Amino acid sequence: MATLFQSAASPLLHRSSSSCCSWLSASGGGHLKLKGEDAVRRHGRLVVKAEDERNGSAAGEVVAKPRKASPLQRGGTLSGEEAEGKDPSPAALLANKKPLMSLGGGMFEDARWKNGTWDIQQFTNSGRVDWDAVIDAEIARRKWLEENPEASSNSDPVVFDTSTVPWWAWVKRFHLPEAEILNGRAAMIGYFAAYLIDSATGVGLVDQTNSFFGKLLLFIAVTGVLLIRKNEDANNLKTLASEWTFYDKQWQATWKNEEQHPVSEKEIKL
Amino acid sequence: MVVVRIFAGMNSRKLEGRKLRVAVVGGGPAGGSAAETLAKGGIETFLFERKLDNAKPCGGAIPLCMVGEFDLPQDIIDRKVTKMKMISPSNVAVDVGRTLNENEYIGMVRREVLDSYMRDRAASFGAQVINGLYLRMEAPKDEDSPYVLHYTRYDGKSKVGTPSKLEVDAIVGADGANSRVAKDIDAGDYDYAIAFQERIKIPDEKMAYYENLAEMYVGADVSPDFYGWVFPKCDHVAVGTGTVIDKPAIKKYQTATRNRAKDKIEGGKIIRVEAHPIPEHPRPRRVKDRVALVGDAAGYVTKCSGEGIYFAAKSGRMCAEAIVEGSAFGQRMINEADLRTYLRKWDNKYWPTYKVLDILQKLFYRSNPAREAFVEMCADEYVQKMTFDSYLYKTVVPGNPLDDLKLAVNTIGSLVRAYALRNESLKATA
Repeated sequence: MATLFQSAASPLLHRSSSSCCSWLSASGGGHLKLKGEDAVRRHGRLVVKAEDERNGSAAGEVVAKPRKASPLQRGGTLSGEEAEGKDPSPAALLANKKPLMSLGGGMFEDARWKNGTWDIQQFTNSGRVDWDAVIDAEIARRKWLEENPEASSNSDPVVFDTSTVPWWAWVKRFHLPEAEILNGRAAMIGYFAAYLIDSATGVGLVDQTNSFFGKLLLFIAVTGVLLIRKNEDANNLKTLASEWTFYDKQWQATWKNEEQHPVSEKEIKL
Repeated sequence: MVVVRIFAGMNSRKLEGRKLRVAVVGGGPAGGSAAETLAKGGIETFLFERKLDNAKPCGGAIPLCMVGEFDLPQDIIDRKVTKMKMISPSNVAVDVGRTLNENEYIGMVRREVLDSYMRDRAASFGAQVINGLYLRMEAPKDEDSPYVLHYTRYDGKSKVGTPSKLEVDAIVGADGANSRVAKDIDAGDYDYAIAFQERIKIPDEKMAYYENLAEMYVGADVSPDFYGWVFPKCDHVAVGTGTVIDKPAIKKYQTATRNRAKDKIEGGKIIRVEAHPIPEHPRPRRVKDRVALVGDAAGYVTKCSGEGIYFAAKSGRMCAEAIVEGSAFGQRMINEADLRTYLRKWDNKYWPTYKVLDILQKLFYRSNPAREAFVEMCADEYVQKMTFDSYLYKTVVPGNPLDDLKLAVNTIGSLVRAYALRNESLKATA
């Protein structure tokens, strides 16, 4: 009897051949999903004869071939680190560490959260709105919900929009401190670079600034700092660049085949 | 309409006394539309389908343009969705669809109804529908010899089929994501997502909410790189999610999706559970000699939205048109160059659409802050109008440049704010 090897897929996934595996015509035809099939296929033809059935099943029983991974385990052509960035959210690879589900945990509650949005009145003291506190509250809310996802409700919808916090509050809170740090670093490096160049070439600070070469270096330094603020950024940019073109490469793969094996040209009219 | 300029080269042989024979393997939207166009073009067509009443697991959404382009009757559309709700990880809910006029909708269909309609229509134009399972093909010896297609023929009376074979000049592989034809021509593998879906029958008063509304849930709990959905079907809702990079955990994501929609589907009964693979990008090789792949077999599913039905039907039609044109209505033998015409046309026409959706997916499904920004952007009317116009009519509509600039600024603003909140929260815990 031929041994039928079925992939370990959950019964929910229907593979076009698996449904026919249970039918074998009496005369020994029909298609058998044999493990040795791939080896036979390499010769380009699947020879379905009685002898091969026995050979195939004998081979299957003697040689323990690794079980073909089920569709739930196969990730396609990329997995693990390489899949990162090819499809978004590398965070998901780390997500297993975080408990994402909390059944029956407390719902998000805050005295200042009313009707699906932050009640700005409660953040006001003496006529001035404390936007930093609004931002902190929203941070806490998002963090809570990320770790304890809640059901979305129609009777109590969330309508908060981050643009209610004015742009200058964002700038003051997030942009200015980082700008201060970066400018500080740039100033320190610039001071010592100017000193070293002066001691090496005798060109003073004013003359350095006036020269074209000096301006060019300054431009490169400024753009460099904007793009690469931390050491990790250099790697991120490289990943971004390859990510940007990865999809294009997948689409053009079929044309690479043509370049290698050009077909006899008919006039192709579009 | 196919405008035929007969550019058939000198080197393609005129077929003596017979028409070109083409086998279409797979009777879904791609196969049905390919078979119809081939049959209309005077080509002897054989359409293979292994299960004529197959109820395929599928989201089932078709854009408005498909109804017009493929002359679909109104009665195969179960529901016309005119509103969508996008829900962010922190449950910010945004209503999308205010910009639609009363003639615009997203059609929800049952795949068994759509597929059999398209097959029957192909048969009415002269295609032969064969209830059979494709097994393998024998490559031809030279460029004039036929392919020998081996299949198991079912005659409907017994469960056991008879092995049969058929000689054809060309094969169109429309047999879906697990395509055998693709394997036989060494088309290569693709990354794919697993979509998992539960059909839930909910009480009538809850069903009224989903009368013509579909929901989309985004969040790392629901999927690391896709979205969870609640789509209304004929008399129940389909709740599902999908993922590419974390397939073994799909059940966890499904539970999370159901929890997010808990209030709205409470009291429902799960009537069916299904799963299917969704290709993420085209296979490395889509054409070989006189075999071409179309639809899911080729990998024509968009990113971001995971839409495949329309592109399957359209690619089937375009491939068939290329065959009809290259063979001068079935009189001449075709070769690989004719099939590459279809590929070139397809890539030129739809590459911008696919690339834009790829960029959107990479940008907005990346992480929770990005998803929050995404939902915030969807509240904007200009975004809604652009999105629906490009989805319903499948053309990338160039909008007003000033509005585009405003949109770009708003997008960057949303992303910056969302990421700033996230970075601050990480700093607090670090």
